[in-house]
Amino acid sequence: MNAAPTTNATTADTARTADVSTTSADVSTTSATVAAPSTAVAATAGDAPITEIAVAPVEPRHRLHPLTPLLRGVHVLAIVIGIFSWQGYQQLGPLRWALGSAGVLVVASVLAAVSWYTTGYQVHGRELRISEGLLWRRTRAIPLERLQTVDVVRPLLARLTGVAELRLEVIGSYRAEAPLAYLSLPVASRLREHLLSLAGGRDGATAGPPAERIVHRVRNGRVLLAQLLTPHTWFVPLGLVVAVLPYRSQQGWNLVAVGSLLTAVLGVVQVPLRRIVDDWHFHIREDEAGLRLYHGLLSTRSQTVPRPRIQAIGVTWPLMWRPLGWLQARMDVAGYGAYDREAGKHASLLLPVADLRTAHPVLGAVLGAELLAPPLVPAPRRARWLAPLRYRLLAVGHDRELVYARDGWLVRRLVIAPLARAQSVRVVQGPIQRLLGLADVHVDTAGRLHVVGEHRDVDEAYALAATLASVARAARAREMGAHHRSASAATP
Amino acid sequence: MTQAIALEPAPDTIAWRRVSGRLIVIEELQVLASTVVVVAANLAARLFVHNRVPLLVAGLAAAIGLVSAVVVLRSVRTWRYAERDDDLLVRHGLFLRKLSIVPYARMQFVDVTAGPLERAFGLATVTMHTAAAASDARVPGLRAAEAARLRDRLSSLGDTRSEGL
Repeated sequence: MNAAPTTNATTADTARTADVSTTSADVSTTSATVAAPSTAVAATAGDAPITEIAVAPVEPRHRLHPLTPLLRGVHVLAIVIGIFSWQGYQQLGPLRWALGSAGVLVVASVLAAVSWYTTGYQVHGRELRISEGLLWRRTRAIPLERLQTVDVVRPLLARLTGVAELRLEVIGSYRAEAPLAYLSLPVASRLREHLLSLAGGRDGATAGPPAERIVHRVRNGRVLLAQLLTPHTWFVPLGLVVAVLPYRSQQGWNLVAVGSLLTAVLGVVQVPLRRIVDDWHFHIREDEAGLRLYHGLLSTRSQTVPRPRIQAIGVTWPLMWRPLGWLQARMDVAGYGAYDREAGKHASLLLPVADLRTAHPVLGAVLGAELLAPPLVPAPRRARWLAPLRYRLLAVGHDRELVYARDGWLVRRLVIAPLARAQSVRVVQGPIQRLLGLADVHVDTAGRLHVVGEHRDVDEAYALAATLASVARAARAREMGAHHRSASAATP
Repeated sequence: MTQAIALEPAPDTIAWRRVSGRLIVIEELQVLASTVVVVAANLAARLFVHNRVPLLVAGLAAAIGLVSAVVVLRSVRTWRYAERDDDLLVRHGLFLRKLSIVPYARMQFVDVTAGPLERAFGLATVTMHTAAAASDARVPGLRAAEAARLRDRLSSLGDTRSEGL
């Protein structure tokens, strides 16, 4: 801690006095907290920029929010109730059921309290260390250079109690690394800023609240209407009939029957409802660290997406939205697959619903993509022998930075990928394509969305592959150059 | 529009290298081995099953083996690779023709593998792995010395030009 720069001591002190009321409850109760103000506080709340942050001194060990055990306990209880729900209630009776639930809550809370007591996190140099466990102690060191995004997630209970969960996403790891649950909201957002500034290196010099700019806001009415126009929603009436039918001959309605019926109905409407709830208040903001997506009615998520990590963007025009001219945009971010299991495909959603005119500036801000008039060249007419329904839409094209490919029949798709991040360019020609003088051009990305220009004229395909390879090389060089320039500018 | 020109994005600047001819022997041996196993198994089955099915299957397997032997002979000869300043080019394929252009900057690691048969013939396979599985560039049938040279060159180029993802 004595590595802390002396010039910032006063700043840190004032910051500490200002923040001590909010942080004292969150950090470890040992005297280390008071004796050594964390530079995290100084870096974000202080008014003097800390340029020496690269030396990154060892900071005191912090604990999670004291409400954590209780919240975790309630979480476990909810799961247990979910499992034994109505049947358990039926068999045990109200009193024993309540006692059993209380017992589960107490046991879970005690276990969670022990885990809370032994869990701590600490910024150590350029690493975030998270230690946990009573019998088997485990310390994970997360190198901040590999830190990709930091998300603040606030489930319903966390919102009611004013706490938040911090999720770190690290390059090359397949799941969300070390969620820090829970922290008080100010601590969570400060730690997030601090980690991002340490990870970004040069951004550490920015002080004060980051200047955020709203890039786009999706209207809630549109989210609702768009969700009503999906196959999922259209199957809801059918699902409801199937769910309710068994109860038609039900005699003597009691709490259990009503509960089961509600559960069944909820199961049917859950998917569309969840989509609406998740996409509610969807808006995109931008600061120096990158884009940030905010959405959710009950549990708010804020996701940071550093633009250099976007591998591709997929724009789809679902069949039922086409009369309205609406589209949906997803992005493929390197190493961001982890959230897919937890939050559906939502993690990658860039625009839940938008029309061309509103989507265009957003995609422009994200990738510099041209959506109104993409530079597409259609496939030759003879492609209809291999793609009778799609050949009119098949098209591919590129500019200096991006490669575009269009595809689809009922559902139209446009995939846009930055060439600077392309992994390879390939040309593939099947036997029938050879007879027709056609070939496919693939631009592979590190994500799941690949750009494929299907059924091009064979000569054009090879020429295009060669061009794309050299354009990609130039784009990479520009990106590297920009990176070096900003890196050298940050360290004068 | 001849195929020879069409297969090369920049015909005059690329020095294509061929893989070792011994790869043909290896692949033919593999075809032979699998054919022999199937035919032998069916001939053995003929001792217990008294109808024509095993003989038909054996004959079919032999025919398929013969056709694959011809296909392998021609398809192995289509392997080509070229090291350019910034990327590795690999092309291959008789019926399904493929050309891959993989920039060295995108390389994550290089694998050199050699199965027992390849080792017996002093050959190895070099695979350049990228962050996308579809992009991995594989060059089989390289002589051990050439495989080592390619591996060293790729890893040294990867070091100097690496930009991560």
